[in-house]
Amino acid sequence: MTDDKKNKNHQSDDQDMMKLVDNLNRKEDVNLNRRAFLKATFGTTVALGLATTPFGVLSVMRDGHNDGERVEIAEADELAVGESKNFVYPKEGDTAILVRTKDDKYVAYNNKCTHLQCPVFYEHKEDILLCPCHKGYFDVNNGHPVAGPPQRELPKILVEVQGGKVYAVGREYRHG
Amino acid sequence: MDKKKLSFLSIFVFLAINVVSLVQVIEGYYGREYGHVYTFMFVSLLSTALATAAFFIWRKEEYKK
Repeated sequence: MTDDKKNKNHQSDDQDMMKLVDNLNRKEDVNLNRRAFLKATFGTTVALGLATTPFGVLSVMRDGHNDGERVEIAEADELAVGESKNFVYPKEGDTAILVRTKDDKYVAYNNKCTHLQCPVFYEHKEDILLCPCHKGYFDVNNGHPVAGPPQRELPKILVEVQGGKVYAVGREYRHG
Repeated sequence: MDKKKLSFLSIFVFLAINVVSLVQVIEGYYGREYGHVYTFMFVSLLSTALATAAFFIWRKEEYKK
């Protein structure tokens, strides 16, 4: 039996099979084309969407931790106007700076620079907070960066003056 | 606009939503704004679910003989 005869006998079967194969053969989708592009886009969409979940889980775990402990950090008359003092809040290792500003207000911030974690100091003459590592400047009144590489504000420590003492009562990461 | 084209284009919209959401989630996490994190995580997961639905609709139409 010749090949032609074979094909004639099973012509309809072959056509059906070709239809199936044509429908199922997606190997060419591996090459860069419209279908592959959309599949890659969809994969990226799912990956980015799922990438948010670890942050959500970690947030749930950290959400209960309270920074609102009330701690005495200085005597009210310990600092003259334009002076500063270092302390730790809320934990050891969270170094902070308390400043009595020229307007006679107490302000406090965690003093790790938001650029590369160098310590931030109070520059009394210019009335500004300075990170000397890369010359990052922060406004002493609100902790926001005003010059240099830092892009984010310093975490603000809420202070209260009561009975001649200065207390740290909480912390805000994003403020004003 | 037919179903196939609509689902095709919507996947790009969902991609844009997920990019923005991920940025917001990371910002919120490091800024200790956990409410922010939950909101944008929800938006992102919803967007992912809709993108998945859109993808299957597109696939069904695309490979239909």
